[in-house]
Amino acid sequence: MLRDITLGQYYPVDSFVHQLDPRTKILLTLGYIIAVFMASNLLAYVPIVLFLVLAIRVSRIPAKMMLRSIRPLRVLLIFTFVLNLFFGAGDEVVFRLGFIVIKYEGLMNALHFSLRLIFLVMGTSLMTLTTPPVVLTDGLEKLASPLRVIKFPAHEMAMMMTIALRFIPTLVEEADKIMKAQTARGADFTSGNIKQRTQAMIPLLVPLFISAFRRAGDLAMAMEARCYHGGEGRTRLHVLKYGVKDALAALVVLGLLAAVFLVGKLL
Amino acid sequence: MPLTLQNVTHIYQPGSPFQSVALSDINLTIDDGELLALIGHTGSGKSTLAQHLNGLMQPTSGAVLLDGEDINSKDTDKRRLRFQVGLVFQYPEYQLFEETVEKDIAFGPKNMGLSAGEVKDRVLAAMDMVGLSYEEIGQKSPFELSGGQMRRVALAGVLAMQPRILVLDEPTAGLDPRARKFLLEDIQRLHREGTTVVMISHSMDDVAQLATRIAVMEKGQLAMTGTPEEIFSQYDRLTGMGLDVPQASVLSHRLRGKGLAIDNCYQLSCLADELEKLLKGGAPHAS
Repeated sequence: MLRDITLGQYYPVDSFVHQLDPRTKILLTLGYIIAVFMASNLLAYVPIVLFLVLAIRVSRIPAKMMLRSIRPLRVLLIFTFVLNLFFGAGDEVVFRLGFIVIKYEGLMNALHFSLRLIFLVMGTSLMTLTTPPVVLTDGLEKLASPLRVIKFPAHEMAMMMTIALRFIPTLVEEADKIMKAQTARGADFTSGNIKQRTQAMIPLLVPLFISAFRRAGDLAMAMEARCYHGGEGRTRLHVLKYGVKDALAALVVLGLLAAVFLVGKLL
Repeated sequence: MPLTLQNVTHIYQPGSPFQSVALSDINLTIDDGELLALIGHTGSGKSTLAQHLNGLMQPTSGAVLLDGEDINSKDTDKRRLRFQVGLVFQYPEYQLFEETVEKDIAFGPKNMGLSAGEVKDRVLAAMDMVGLSYEEIGQKSPFELSGGQMRRVALAGVLAMQPRILVLDEPTAGLDPRARKFLLEDIQRLHREGTTVVMISHSMDDVAQLATRIAVMEKGQLAMTGTPEEIFSQYDRLTGMGLDVPQASVLSHRLRGKGLAIDNCYQLSCLADELEKLLKGGAPHAS
């Protein structure tokens, strides 16, 4: 019943973008976000669109998957667009119908903010679509490790994230199984008012929590048995290494930043 | 009231790149009063099939009929169906959730909308059926019990609905020999008292001991059905599928391989009789 939930949206194909170091992808995504926020007029979005199209083509992610990533944003997009459209300041009226007034600035702002949202989400989705979650946490850990001097627990954070990610599918599967087992005993999860539905969750949640705690205990024991003692002195099987491709990608994003900057300056 | 599967096919995530056929054109009738054992390799589709029997899963094509009526049609009350076809999942003790054993077993009957008195009667009867003492553990937390006892509480939770057909998915998995023996005795008793039982099992010795009929699944298909004699005489075919055969079958097969005139036996008692006959009559060596 819960089978349709897909977690971590990694799309497994092999491409230039997939092969990039996760740290590169995180940093370049940051650069891209800066570029999107730097875009001060609609024309400045041209290089961004070109960059996105290029990146998506190179990553071999189907356009359908990319579009799917903005679907959860629908409501927010409509809100942003409508609010900016009708309540923008300015004096150049483009459309008037009774009390509905659309001004030029409002229209521009509506387009501006909606596009900014769309580009932000598409760019960051490209990162999560091309990087497995565990690799992403590896990259985060490595990037955050200089912060250890100020006692930031980079390794522990990354380990917790990895474990959490690892167990999400397991727990979903478990929840599905328990749900079915209780349904077989006549439990009803889908009808009734809010109070009844909340109560109906108890036969699902109690076993789920118990099993989550049991798994956590087992995992702690298994890690202990393999002498896990935190990040101190721990070496890696897959050592992250920057390559030529990373430099190339960095150049492209720098180019993007320059282009957006120039377009903003010149116009 | 027989339960019939007609051309049942189940495809997981059809149309996606992850599409996989779990069941393919299954035709099977479960007759009243039989104890049907469902055997097959891991991933052969046994559990998927079991979940079709009470409508938890719907076939992609084909139909499941109870008394000739499609259980997945809009007119069928799914909950009522589930009270008639009780399904006990693998490791059912992981679904216990109530504060006391009594409350947990009462969950099913309460969902049926029975009166408090009736619920209590059913709890007592169900506990009795699986050999648990109400006085001793009725008010205990199910989480204080041993693994074997928890399994029986979970089984009682389904039995309390008094289903006419009981579907068990690997009921003895992970139990110690004693708990296993008790549980098998419970199942046999239920069957003798008239409940139709469908049991998924990996233990061929359990199957040989209990089943009146066996259905063998392979890669989502029904490879063969028949009496234990018929199925376990197909020694080579079963082992070819990566399945075990009962110890008695292995032994009788090997002895026949040595040229001894021994009938195909799948139960130890039968093998003992055969050997006794052979010993008394002197060993007629075929070669």
